Amino acid sequence: MASFGRFIRLAVGACAFLLVIAASAPCNAQQVNPTASSVKEQQLLQELNRIQGRVSIPDQRSGVLEQPAGRDWREFHNVTLRWIGGIAILGIIAVMVIFYLTRGMVRLESGRSGRTIVRFTAFERFVHWMTATCFIVLAISGLNITFGRPLLLPLIGFEAFSEWSQWAKYAHIYLSFPFTIGVVLIFLMWIAGNIPNKVDVDWLKRGGGIVGHDHPPAYRFNAGQKAIYWIVVLGGGAVAVTGYALMFPFYLSGIEGMQLAQVVHSIVAVLFIAAMLAHIYIGTVGMEGAFEAMGTGEVDLNWAREHHSLWVEEEQAKGQAPSGGTPKAMPAE
Amino acid sequence: MKAFVAALLFAAIVAVGVSILLNTIQQPSSVAFTTEGVRVGDPGHNLIGPG
Amino acid sequence: MARMKFLCDADRCIECNACVTACKNEHEVPWGINRRRVVTINDGKPGERSVSMACMHCTDAPCAAVCPVNCFYTTADGVVLHSKDLCIGCGYCFYACPFGAPQYPKVGNFGSRGKMDKCTFCAGGPEADGSREEYEKYGANRLAEGKLPLCAEMCSTKSLLAGDGEIIAQIYKERVMKRGYGSGAWGWKTAYHETIES
Repeated sequence: MASFGRFIRLAVGACAFLLVIAASAPCNAQQVNPTASSVKEQQLLQELNRIQGRVSIPDQRSGVLEQPAGRDWREFHNVTLRWIGGIAILGIIAVMVIFYLTRGMVRLESGRSGRTIVRFTAFERFVHWMTATCFIVLAISGLNITFGRPLLLPLIGFEAFSEWSQWAKYAHIYLSFPFTIGVVLIFLMWIAGNIPNKVDVDWLKRGGGIVGHDHPPAYRFNAGQKAIYWIVVLGGGAVAVTGYALMFPFYLSGIEGMQLAQVVHSIVAVLFIAAMLAHIYIGTVGMEGAFEAMGTGEVDLNWAREHHSLWVEEEQAKGQAPSGGTPKAMPAE
Repeated sequence: MKAFVAALLFAAIVAVGVSILLNTIQQPSSVAFTTEGVRVGDPGHNLIGPG
Repeated sequence: MARMKFLCDADRCIECNACVTACKNEHEVPWGINRRRVVTINDGKPGERSVSMACMHCTDAPCAAVCPVNCFYTTADGVVLHSKDLCIGCGYCFYACPFGAPQYPKVGNFGSRGKMDKCTFCAGGPEADGSREEYEKYGANRLAEGKLPLCAEMCSTKSLLAGDGEIIAQIYKERVMKRGYGSGAWGWKTAYHETIES
């Protein structure tokens, strides 16, 4: 009996021993990957170009885990925009300098008559100067955001540049409101006189008289001025809309929308600046007798006849302008 | 000249007025991003200053 | 010299938010500022995954590149920090950051969003190491005391690793080899232009 009991104990012990050996061997053939069906990073990036999930934070922007579009935006802002802005602004300045040195100021050929005609009312001049001065400050403060760091920061140092940039930023934000008001008023005030027509086609074909001594007829606003009008209204509208989107971040869009708003705002702005530089040129040094239109509101009658002959006729017919004097060559209509 | 000065004045007044208005309606993040389940007394001032 | 990095092992993260709590506590981060957060993808569905995310301290940091006042700087360990004295709160760093790290004390109004705040890798800021000014502006400076970021120290599953990039990459590689699976080091390709092949 005792040997049988010893045999049983031996057998059980051997089985237990084998069981322990078997159980402890790593089951390599059945290694489980519990996250096999879970999402992978590169897969999500390829599908949606962003990775987004749920967060317990009330600010839902935190839910975006990765947005590589930020990299493209960085490339645009640091490289592309600086090239576009640099070429546009330096280019237009170069063109104006060369033009002034070759063509010179457009002179009042028949000389001053001594009689004037009212060109812009006080309200029109008020609106223009409000928009214009705001534009100057907006342009400088805006260019500071893009070009200040490479061009100005090395000259005045970090602290001074940050202080300047802080004030420039405030000026940019708050002066955008009177600027927008001005653009809206300009749109309403002068829409009637800025609808393109056949006279403009003719004016453009004759190059506006910018070269040589031609004086193509024009109504109150010639084709060049109409171009500036539409650039101000459409360009100003675009920078205003995108600017307010930037000023109230994420009210209207997610992060890709903000990046797009900055792209549009900055490109339109630098082109707008280039156009306005040309406008400022022609209204000041570029043409004799032009500044008075916005300065005092009254222009010399001969100047008006040379550059806006059809407008002078309209004004004379209405009794708003002094009559008499020899009109310049009329177009064969 | 009068038109020009009036323009500057009007622009300045509008700008200052807008700045006062916007700063009044601006919310700190702790207020803007909060839920009914949260009652924030003092949101803390470390890292962001007393403002 | 060690190049500091974060690595969140997305296969181990259980969304416990210990990292978030640790960061909030250590730096007394106010309500509304989220230096570190846990994002859960496909929440509740098969394939759910959680990842802890804060500033990744990128190589060639995009935030630093687009800042109009150049207020960022990278330390010798590769930690990306910035100066709140120079910051003008414009928000461009948030548009450029692939990970949404920059935080602002106020909403809206490009003009006065307040100074940007973000994860500092527990390395403070330009003020003197361990000073009160540094704590009030940037939070605790653990790196100056020879310690690693508290979020990783407090991670309950050791999914969030922080420290010398080579060491944590090695740890992750061994882990993946031992257990036989790994979804990769999330964010490393975007932040450091490298992946960890296992």
